[in-house]
Amino acid sequence: MGASQTRVETAAAVGRRVPTGLPMWLQAVVRFARQKPLGAWGAAVVVVMVLVAIGADYLAPYDPLKTRYHLMMQAPGAKFWLGTDTYGRDILSRIIYGSRTALLVGFSASIFGATVGAIMGVMSAYFGGKTDLVIQRVMDVLLSFPLIVLALAVVAVLGTGVENVIIAIAVPMVPRCARVVRASALAIRETPYVEAARAMGFSHMRIMFRHMLPNVVAPYLIMLTAFLGQAILLEASLSFLGLGVTEPTAAWGLMLKGAAVEFAERAPWMGIFPGLAISAAVFGFNLFGDSLRDVLDPKLRTS
Amino acid sequence: MQRYIIKRFLLMIPTLLGVAVFIFLLMRVIPGDIVELRLTSEGGFVTEEVLATERARLGLDKPLWQQFVNWIWGIVRLDFGTSMWTGRPISHEIGIRLQLSLEVAILATVVAILIAIPLGTLAALKQDTWVDYAVRVFSIAGLSMPSFWLGILIILFLLIFFQWVPPMIYTPIWVDPWANFSQIVWPAVAVGYRYSAVSTRMMRSSTLEVLREDYVRTARAKGLWEKVVITRHAMKNALLPVITVIGLEFAFLIGGLVVTEQVFNLNGLGKLFVQSIAQRDYTMTQTLVLLVAVTFVLVNFVIDILYGWLDPRIHYQ
Repeated sequence: MGASQTRVETAAAVGRRVPTGLPMWLQAVVRFARQKPLGAWGAAVVVVMVLVAIGADYLAPYDPLKTRYHLMMQAPGAKFWLGTDTYGRDILSRIIYGSRTALLVGFSASIFGATVGAIMGVMSAYFGGKTDLVIQRVMDVLLSFPLIVLALAVVAVLGTGVENVIIAIAVPMVPRCARVVRASALAIRETPYVEAARAMGFSHMRIMFRHMLPNVVAPYLIMLTAFLGQAILLEASLSFLGLGVTEPTAAWGLMLKGAAVEFAERAPWMGIFPGLAISAAVFGFNLFGDSLRDVLDPKLRTS
Repeated sequence: MQRYIIKRFLLMIPTLLGVAVFIFLLMRVIPGDIVELRLTSEGGFVTEEVLATERARLGLDKPLWQQFVNWIWGIVRLDFGTSMWTGRPISHEIGIRLQLSLEVAILATVVAILIAIPLGTLAALKQDTWVDYAVRVFSIAGLSMPSFWLGILIILFLLIFFQWVPPMIYTPIWVDPWANFSQIVWPAVAVGYRYSAVSTRMMRSSTLEVLREDYVRTARAKGLWEKVVITRHAMKNALLPVITVIGLEFAFLIGGLVVTEQVFNLNGLGKLFVQSIAQRDYTMTQTLVLLVAVTFVLVNFVIDILYGWLDPRIHYQ
């Protein structure tokens, strides 16, 4: 364990050199960037992506849905920087608008899944006994499915489309978050302040939501950021299989579906750029999430 | 120890039963059943009577609990029943695809191990240097790249540089081992790279931990060759958690295959799963999912037991 200790010390030493006089949150940002350069790079990618998604209307050179049948599969050039697809749609514009889909699905599914998971975890830890046993067994069942298999099954029930994809991706995330949150909540249940709250005769709801949930924020945030990249990846996979977001919405996985193998020789740009966008986005989220985990709780084993 | 194994084994039953109930019910709430899908999807008009007869033939008219009991009772006797879509025995449908998927899975695991163990050890030995950072970036990149996109890139690469793509028709290993290998290795690399990421990180952190142990210091102090210290003393102990990760991920490899098989157009279990869900093939989907869950739970069980055997410090009550 000596390694992590020395690292924490050096990190603290670096942290002390943060210029004072800045607002608190900005100081925290600078400290994070100094301690975790890789994490800062990841965060930068995420920020760029959010900006692109917000400014899509101004950044995109063309309408992402506009088809041009006389300009199909144009190679990248001066007019279409990243080329056009089989419908003659501009790939760059579709990638820019695709970031909206990816962020929307990524954030909604992760927040939804992690929140439900956290509530389940806290309930399981707080009530204990039979409730705990039942919740844990249900979570065990859900954990026996690979992510994508469960997501596919849920999509089959609900049908395709953005909202359903969000739910389908959130479901397999619930048990993973519940397990981690339960572990920390178990310790919190034994703390004097929870005991005090109980002695005051507060309701179960109040103790769980006001006293316990705020104290599992660290594992919750860690799981949430870890999910973000996964969720974007899952959405891309579902859309690639034709079971996620549907045409003509601009979504990265969907762009690869049409591009995949049939046009590999004639129009390789169709298969390269959307995948690059997915990888860069998920890479950013993963780098950031990874470093955030180290900073928020070095002792927590959430992997 | 024996009592622990028995208890641990019995605990698997409720989980698997839960999986069975869950997937059984999930399949029934999917809108549109197989009969409707098959008989009316082409826009043809079919009378209610015909639909009812077809449902009766497939046993879908019986009460849910009875359908469930029949299915489970079949599974217990290792009789998986027939596919509702093709009418052929499920064991046959799975059997002809299992070899391909298993080959990809095993080769992907080999790829993952070949990447993870050397890179993870290297990163730990060179902690906080550029080597360590490079390995971290490399492994996080593996987690970030969709394996199907890596597959597309591999196909593009083979096409541009060798004017060759892996053939779509599967060649069994006993017919032509080289043709078989050159076909299987590409999807295995696409899946294996992603799969290696978690194990690389695990290898790095567990090596770091082990290097701080007293027995490693002792080994160094008595003048052992650094190479021997690393391979014989450190790596052997650092491998334990890595084995766990590799084992668990192996059980879930079918998840990676679902999309990758699509890219390489391989007719394996992943493709079968996507197909059978789209066709509302209840019996096939249920059995496939149960198969995955059984593999996962069994691997978990075996790892638990192996742990105690590999690491004598662990005691079970």
